[in-house]
Amino acid sequence: MPEEKEFIQQLLNPKMQNEAFQKLLLIYQKPLYNHIRNIVLNHDDTDDVLQNTFIKVFNNLKNFKGESKLFSWIYRIATNEALTFLNQKAKKNGITSEELQNKAIDNLQADVYFDSDEIQLKLQKAIATLPEKQQLVFKMKYFEELKYEEISEIIGTSVGALKASYHHAVKKIEVFVKSN
Amino acid sequence: MKEFKLENSTKIETGFKTPDNYFENFSDKLLLKLPHNEPKVIPFFKRRNSIIMLVAAVFIIALTIPILNTAHVNTISELDETTLENYLSYQTNVNQYDLINVLDAKDIDKIDAPVALEEKTIEDILVDNANLEHFIIE
Repeated sequence: MPEEKEFIQQLLNPKMQNEAFQKLLLIYQKPLYNHIRNIVLNHDDTDDVLQNTFIKVFNNLKNFKGESKLFSWIYRIATNEALTFLNQKAKKNGITSEELQNKAIDNLQADVYFDSDEIQLKLQKAIATLPEKQQLVFKMKYFEELKYEEISEIIGTSVGALKASYHHAVKKIEVFVKSN
Repeated sequence: MKEFKLENSTKIETGFKTPDNYFENFSDKLLLKLPHNEPKVIPFFKRRNSIIMLVAAVFIIALTIPILNTAHVNTISELDETTLENYLSYQTNVNQYDLINVLDAKDIDKIDAPVALEEKTIEDILVDNANLEHFIIE
């Protein structure tokens, strides 16, 4: 994609870097915030991870070889940062990732940056029962409305496997909502 | 309980919100945290310091050479008798008479060690050294 190549060149050019990076922030800050927030759930943690993601993107732009799209490369960094953050937080608190997630969902009810709707909370609880990969696929497809091809580029799983994963996730969530 | 179908019901939003003006302020906050590519400055004094250090090192080496040399001379073992004798014989103005004047009776006694010589040996020495005859006469 010639436009993307040109944009990357601008990001690497010290004279144009500032302006180009501001453009990148404008394009990606909102979707990446939503992506990270769906994984870590809490606003303050999302803010930290989002900043780390952009700093990492900035520092590694010179190593970006253009083998994948800039979009999927940035999303991959954000996903890794969010998952690493959760693992480290769980380790620091001496609990498992699942326990940490359940704790985060419990805290959502008191979170001023969360619309405390009953069905939204129930959906979050249902998602928490899924395996990590299914959770990721469900959130990216259902909440972020990314295409299977885009999700495939980000997490490196085939479109077929993603469709199956999403289908299983939906079924489990429906059963959970129905029985709770 | 009624059937729940995720795909058929109204889309459930995440319910996540952000503080007011969060995205407006985010880029300013982030840009401050990014590393800036400033031109690398080599301080003038740093370079001058290294030159001064180099000159100082050369001086110290130059100054230590005589000390090392002296130390080297001092390490030579004691002079052996032959070297001393050769020096006195060929490199100085000291002659036999000077030596005789320096020696006192005690020194002469020390030198006067009994030497067992056979007659034939004495004869040989006398034959080889014509000067001895002159010394005896004197």
